[in-house]
Amino acid sequence: MKTWFADLWSGFYTVLVGMDITWRHLFTPKVVLQYPEQKWTLPPKSRMRLHLKYEDCIGCGQCARACPVNCISIKADKRAAGSAPIYAANGQAIKLDVKVFDIDMSLCCYCNLCTYPCPTDCIYMTPEYEFASTDIRDHLYRFAKPDAVFLTVNPKPPAPAPAPAAAAAAAAPKPTEGGAA
Amino acid sequence: MSATRPITSADTVGWRIDDIGPDEMILSMGPQHPSTHGVLRIELITDGELVRDARPHIGYLHRCFEKHCENVDYPGVIPYTDRLDYVASMGNSLGYCLAVEKLLAIEPSPYVQTIRVIMAELQRIASHCVAIGTYGMDLGAFTPFLHLLRDREKILDVFEWTCGARLLYNYNWVGGVSHDVPEGFVKACREIVSEFDQITYPELVNLLIGNKIFISRTAGVGVVSRELAISYDLTGPNLRGSGVKYDLRKDEPYSGYENYTFEVPVGEGQYGPKGSCFDRNWVRVVEMKESARIVSQALDRLEKLDKTDVREKVPKRVKPAKGEVFARSEAARGNLGYYVVADGTAVNPYRVKVKSPCFTAMSAFHHVARGVMIADIIALIGSFDVVLGEIDR
Repeated sequence: MKTWFADLWSGFYTVLVGMDITWRHLFTPKVVLQYPEQKWTLPPKSRMRLHLKYEDCIGCGQCARACPVNCISIKADKRAAGSAPIYAANGQAIKLDVKVFDIDMSLCCYCNLCTYPCPTDCIYMTPEYEFASTDIRDHLYRFAKPDAVFLTVNPKPPAPAPAPAAAAAAAAPKPTEGGAA
Repeated sequence: MSATRPITSADTVGWRIDDIGPDEMILSMGPQHPSTHGVLRIELITDGELVRDARPHIGYLHRCFEKHCENVDYPGVIPYTDRLDYVASMGNSLGYCLAVEKLLAIEPSPYVQTIRVIMAELQRIASHCVAIGTYGMDLGAFTPFLHLLRDREKILDVFEWTCGARLLYNYNWVGGVSHDVPEGFVKACREIVSEFDQITYPELVNLLIGNKIFISRTAGVGVVSRELAISYDLTGPNLRGSGVKYDLRKDEPYSGYENYTFEVPVGEGQYGPKGSCFDRNWVRVVEMKESARIVSQALDRLEKLDKTDVREKVPKRVKPAKGEVFARSEAARGNLGYYVVADGTAVNPYRVKVKSPCFTAMSAFHHVARGVMIADIIALIGSFDVVLGEIDR
């Protein structure tokens, strides 16, 4: 009998303790964001949509090899003999003609493993997340551009052997994108 | 009446008609049942409200993890390990990295190890928040879930600013971590710890764990005895809830866990027999508190340590020599082991086998489920805190 009343009392009391918390939460600031109207700031290294800067891609295929879900497909041929040399933004010569560079974002697992081995840092993840679509084929991104404009002048020519010259080359201002046609 | 009658057919396919008494019924629970924490189907032989036997059917979330690992290179496995226990990804990839590092004989720098400990412990707090929150929801208490998810969100924010992802991080790498901690990381973590101590923990105790209704609903339900827990190899909070003081962080320290002072909470059986659903959840709550303690100690350590390049020891190409290795770690749900075999010629593992804590918990399930009410089955699954992604792999 005594325990029955004690249980009854503790049942009421502990519920009231909980109600006290919920009651106090009426007066605390809201934590819920109303999504389409309100958006929070995403960190700059947020991993959302993959992007490729096609003008810098040398077609080495290391990203495709690193991808654990094989969502990147690359087709690259040797450039025609005698064609003018073109360069990526970090000075690497582009020796391949990248015909196809497709990323199937519906397969992508957002692990970011493709971006680390890239020698020219041309593939990267962007903090852009609103790319839902009603058709799965819209998620196949074709990055190869037939009319891409490449750098024809090496922006960072390989430095000669002596050290001072190398320092001077490193100190030279960075070329602007697409500056040379 | 027939609750004690033994099951005659022990086949794995299903029950025969003569297993079922005249007033019994086979009830299929799941795979879409909201309280089964994923896609789990449980076949119950019920006599009215009483469950005479239960048989869990797993495999609805099977994704060929182990076979798939044989076709991707060693770093490529890490995103897949994240998807095993998707509520506590950091702990999963940590276990895999420990295994491959053992295979390659790499020892990450103390700085990296401290970062890993912070991440693993924050992840443990976040994971237990979900575990206890959803457990309350299974039993009909919706509010604590929202409160706990609000606090988990802060931890996920820290993860997002560190590595760019909120749920599936790919953060622990073989030999290091993918990114150094961002600016203001220590301050943000300290805020999380102090908020946990001041808001989350008291709120959780007052709202759910100390609630008389919750206590009478869970204490004495689904009792796993000490012997049963050991014989079925339950690990983590499920084992400690039965009163066995066994924690790999203490008993077999890895990643520098020997440098931190913390207690290993065990179930005390305050309200009824030891090893009940209440004890398992109580252990989780205290464990969160201990994790917060470890995090604040690790933050002190992180500030004192020399900053090293976090990718310093990450090998360019992971190609271990022929050998096999088993490494285990204390993930949020228990003792997570990875068995990795390298054949010495390929850049992909010859075999990866996972010993998952949820799987062993599920194997003990039918034993505990015999003789309880149908409604208690839900309380039982929730208290084991199984994540089907890890069971089915």
